[in-house]
Amino acid sequence: MIPVRCFTCGKVISTAYEEFKRRRDTGEDPKRILDDLGLERYCCRRMLLTHKEIIDDLNPYQ
Amino acid sequence: MEIAFSVLDDQIARFRLDKSSIAFANSLRRAMIGEVPTMAIEDVKIYDNTSALFDEMLAHRIGLIPIKTEEECLIPRDTCSCGGIGCPSCSVLFTLSVEGPGMVTSKDLISQDPRIGPASPDIPVVKLIGGQKVVLEARAIVSRGREHAKWQPTTACGYKNYPVVTVNDRCDACGHCVEECPREILEIRDGRVAVIEGRLESCSLCRLCERACLNTGIGEEAGIIVRSDESRFLFVVEGDGSLPAKNIIRQGLDYIRTQSQGLAAQIYEISGETRDEND
Ligand code: SF4
Ligand code: SF4
Ligand SMILES: [Zn+2]
Ligand SMILES: [Zn+2]
Repeated sequence: MIPVRCFTCGKVISTAYEEFKRRRDTGEDPKRILDDLGLERYCCRRMLLTHKEIIDDLNPYQ
Repeated sequence: MEIAFSVLDDQIARFRLDKSSIAFANSLRRAMIGEVPTMAIEDVKIYDNTSALFDEMLAHRIGLIPIKTEEECLIPRDTCSCGGIGCPSCSVLFTLSVEGPGMVTSKDLISQDPRIGPASPDIPVVKLIGGQKVVLEARAIVSRGREHAKWQPTTACGYKNYPVVTVNDRCDACGHCVEECPREILEIRDGRVAVIEGRLESCSLCRLCERACLNTGIGEEAGIIVRSDESRFLFVVEGDGSLPAKNIIRQGLDYIRTQSQGLAAQIYEISGETRDEND
């Protein structure tokens, strides 16, 4: 799961992840998406850029 | 002391603090981060959790959700008449009960008190597949940022000194500093380098411009000199949604006032002097 907040500054960034993922998968430039989502600081930007979602891989195993 | 706001909305405030000191600016910053009371979830009782996350992980994620606090609607638990057990005047109970498939989000946290709830409804907690289930009860209490970061009302909260950029006669308008400035605040105007109108506050005081100037072989002293004004500060206060930025600043200032009045009263008492009421 995407962390609820940015590790460094504490801004809530998890709310932006769904839209980020959707738009990134359509091939949009991540820089543009992050600017649009109002993530200004690079600490928050790396949270989305470097996240790897593994919940779907874990879910079948309890 | 003077305050002039350039941005002020619920999320973020930017302002200039004039005729002040470093000590005061820093105490204001610390008061806003660590001394403004907010609500956050402290105790979680998990009745059922068959999701892929461990109970601890789930509780941790829920604790990080900012809770919108209506001012003074609750009192801190350690000063409450219930003696810290937890009662409706010092804590708020949330219940959450979701069955998969689907995403558990912060709006599934049902608050007992209609005035208090998650600051954003769309914070994902955990993703469930069919047959998985999360049932829990969470209790939010009032505390301060110095106790735990989840009670901080601010995310980015800080200040810098006001930049003072001066250009002297040594400048020959070669333009090296203009290229070097990462904030792009310099330009060549009337045969000299100058700060672009209205961009001065973006200066980060990095002094790369000075270095670039010295590297042109101008001599011992650069044509552009950046200093910081020790009595003026540029603040940025960004809230996490639990309190509007304006309240964070006001309550931070209130805290400094009550603390210093308390200290002054103590000192008067010790020294035995009578107090001048006009102070
Ligand atoms: S301040 Fe120095 S680097 Fe900048 S334009 Fe003047 S001489 Fe060139
Ligand atoms: S100190 Fe840095 S930001 Fe300020 S004018 Fe010089 S190069 Fe630009
Ligand atoms: Zn951040
Ligand atoms: Zn109580």
